[in-house]
Amino acid sequence: MSQVAPPAARDAEPPEGHDTTWRDGLVRAPESARRRLAAAASAALPGAARWTAVIGAGVVVYAVFLALQGASPFAVLRAMAVSAAGSQTAIAETLVRATPLLLAALAVAVPARAGLFNIGGEGQLLMGAVSAMGAARLLDGALPPPLSLIALALAGVAGGALWALVVGVLRVFSSTSEAISSLLLNYVAGLVLTWLVFGPWKDPGSLGQAYSRSLEGPERLPILWGHRFHLGVLIALAVAVGVWLLLRQTSWGFQLRIVGGNPEAARRAGLRVGELHLGALLLGGALAGLGGMVELAGVEARLRPDMLFGFGFVGFLASWLARHHALKAVAAAVVLGAIAVGGNGLKLASGLSGSAVNILMAVLLLAVLGWAPGRSR
Amino acid sequence: MLLEAVLTGAVRGGTSILYAALGEVVAERSGVINLGTEGCMLSGALAAYIVGVRTGNPWAGAAAGLAAGALLALVFAGVVIGRRANQLAVGLVVSFLGLGLTSLFGQAYVGQGVEAFSRVPVPLLADLPLVGTVLFQHDPLTYLSFVAAPAVWWMLFRTKTGLRVRAAGERPEVLDAFGISAARVRCAAVVAGGALAGLGGAQLSTAFALNWSENMTVGRGFVAVALVIFAAWHPLRAVGGAYLFAGALALQLQLQARGVDVNRYLLESLPYLTVLVILAVMSRHRLHHGPEALAKVFDG
Repeated sequence: MSQVAPPAARDAEPPEGHDTTWRDGLVRAPESARRRLAAAASAALPGAARWTAVIGAGVVVYAVFLALQGASPFAVLRAMAVSAAGSQTAIAETLVRATPLLLAALAVAVPARAGLFNIGGEGQLLMGAVSAMGAARLLDGALPPPLSLIALALAGVAGGALWALVVGVLRVFSSTSEAISSLLLNYVAGLVLTWLVFGPWKDPGSLGQAYSRSLEGPERLPILWGHRFHLGVLIALAVAVGVWLLLRQTSWGFQLRIVGGNPEAARRAGLRVGELHLGALLLGGALAGLGGMVELAGVEARLRPDMLFGFGFVGFLASWLARHHALKAVAAAVVLGAIAVGGNGLKLASGLSGSAVNILMAVLLLAVLGWAPGRSR
Repeated sequence: MLLEAVLTGAVRGGTSILYAALGEVVAERSGVINLGTEGCMLSGALAAYIVGVRTGNPWAGAAAGLAAGALLALVFAGVVIGRRANQLAVGLVVSFLGLGLTSLFGQAYVGQGVEAFSRVPVPLLADLPLVGTVLFQHDPLTYLSFVAAPAVWWMLFRTKTGLRVRAAGERPEVLDAFGISAARVRCAAVVAGGALAGLGGAQLSTAFALNWSENMTVGRGFVAVALVIFAAWHPLRAVGGAYLFAGALALQLQLQARGVDVNRYLLESLPYLTVLVILAVMSRHRLHHGPEALAKVFDG
């Protein structure tokens, strides 16, 4: 919801030039007020206990749902836990699954700091994967190992950013709601992917099913452990720390938060709101694009029509679970990645479709959005 | 004739979106944007399909679709209005919930035949050239939508209920001062909107596509939300928007059927791009004409 800055911040006259201390005051004042509110709200139940209660309630609702489906909730939840975290391989699988989710979550978190809703993570992920494959086809193995991967990553970043650029330009120059336009572009991106794998990029050897050629040797992210744990997991982690630093420690990050907190005050303070909005969306798209490239070069190897289906939405959920905090997003992505991987266990234990785990994610998010302590936008 | 086929397809295919857009007009007029419309449509489509298959009565299916859409909207309203959570985020989560629930429960019904709504040509009118084919050779739910759009307009602008709904979207505090709970009015508007979206879903699965497949709405609910902005929160203008989107869909099918050599996927993305371009052209300052409480949601 719209946040109310305390009167002191709202009525402050813009100072001469960009005075950082004033800017800090503007940023921190609403935050401390919010914190005080949150503290008052959770006085009845301390934060950690309330969080546990909220998550627990979500799980209970889901357990009841499973029981109604004729499955044994305990057996199913246990099987889910085992398949997501029961062995080293399982944990590695969870982390691998969490990787594109984390990057998609960051793609939501950065614009959210500026008060924008990027719901286009899905399309930006896909365009990242498509661009990376495009780069691989263009280069055709011309570059030596580390360079080829860097080229693919840059292409992925550019593809995602380009897709977000459309959203940003529409937002800044014609006030088109970024939530709506990014959402619509997801479907267009899906069609671009479908066109490529059924048409010009179709692997002649793919017969009935449609997919592109496979990335080979030096175009793949190296596997670091076991069969699946690839370098991309660590890259995503490093990127999350980088985004956290960017938002926390740089003047750009501060400016984003001012714009997100009170665009009118930011405008009066002489901040270029349009540029900041555009920058936030571009960075978001770039992060999701990298996510698409990482999933392609680390896991999928080839483009197929339904790859990454739903990842953008789960990334959106992860960002909201983490309250758009870059480091907390790591934890959120791992939790949702674990639930997604737990779908395998659920299928085996209950015979229900693996997509039933999406219901658990949605229920948990509803519980958190509605009942977690210190809720804010 | 290409024109006739495209226009007919626009009406037949646009009906589901029209219902969803009408529902969203009601919700947004009360100050709530419901991105869960996509989920409401999906659950309506599946509920109508399941009941249609089980009972063999499409009208029972339509009622089930209505109820399913309303039920999911109630979940949305509970969290957004009852708990004051973020509308856009909760809406998307509710759509995700709808997608999850329908892909789970719908699995058994993929490829099953349903007792569908049949087309009922209107006597005399159906024989008119062009107009007859385009407007009067449809299923009952499509005819019902011809009535629904003006009915929603009349409800919003000519009744006390409508006044309350609009007041909730413009000046909730005034409504509260009169002793009418704005929260309750919004809740009712959102649930009614979800019911309409559910009915739209029912039309999609039991009168238009005549089958069930996972995620079969492919964004129609989100498009409906976009069309409401395009329609400037006006129920009658929503008709044009819905038919425009579906017309682009129908044009693509017709061109393909006629073997016109245009890229199929480009054509398939045309409906989404059309909506996007129109929004971009018309959007400037649009939001400021909408219900005031909505602007707060969009401006974050």
